[in-house]
Amino acid sequence: MNPTGVYSDLRGRTYHLCELDDAERTLLQEFVQYANDHPDWGEYGNFRMAKIGEFYAARGLDRRQTIATPLWRISQDIGSRLLVAAGHARAPDYRSDLDHLIRENFRTRREFCDATGISEDMLSHVLAGRKHLAIDTLSQALERIGYRLQITPRP
Amino acid sequence: MSSEPARECSFFISILRDKQLADGEPHTAEAWEWLDQELFARFGGYTIAPGLYRGCDTDPHTQQRVDDESYKFIVAVSPEALERLRDLLRQACVEFAQKCIYLNIASQVEFIEATSHESNGSV
Repeated sequence: MNPTGVYSDLRGRTYHLCELDDAERTLLQEFVQYANDHPDWGEYGNFRMAKIGEFYAARGLDRRQTIATPLWRISQDIGSRLLVAAGHARAPDYRSDLDHLIRENFRTRREFCDATGISEDMLSHVLAGRKHLAIDTLSQALERIGYRLQITPRP
Repeated sequence: MSSEPARECSFFISILRDKQLADGEPHTAEAWEWLDQELFARFGGYTIAPGLYRGCDTDPHTQQRVDDESYKFIVAVSPEALERLRDLLRQACVEFAQKCIYLNIASQVEFIEATSHESNGSV
């Protein structure tokens, strides 16, 4: 990993590693090395949890502040990649993006449905993985709330 | 601050979504990330037991045998925070599309069920 490069997570979000300080970059390198040597998600997770909690507690950050740091998110994503590689999780797709959008921007699923015109029943099936939305239906729904579909390179 | 010692709690999360509630497929990475950060934020950390745990149970609704593989999580929780762990697991039932979650609190077993599978946790 290039210490001054860009880290792109499974959802395509990017993190500029130059914004981490030296100690954070060193810890990130430790996480990357550990994940390479120990591809078991649980083993990596235990290592990461102990390290990162201690690291930010020493800087006076509380837990909620810690989980908002780029290093937390990047190190979490490294773990997620281990899970996906083992076949124990699936990479994010449009349904998880949709779920994330609803959580971030609407108080309830109903509120989202009212705003987009998608029925609650259909949304429930889609988020549970039982049905898919047609691209034009999804595009029109997103258009109503100021979003659009985009094709991006696979992380 | 409670004078009583923390209780060792463990619970299992199947690696697959329930076939009736959802599609029986693996969870998204995002669901595991949610659990990771909530356990850290609410309880300060946790341990994942090594490997996967194979088990079988009877579906309370269909009475059919269900085989699954799960991750086991271990967390130390003070007595006054136990209800917060139950709340988290009720939410986890929704996030992970599970009918119930097996919770062991200092060798006392409980099955935690979601309040509603349509509430979608914090939404």
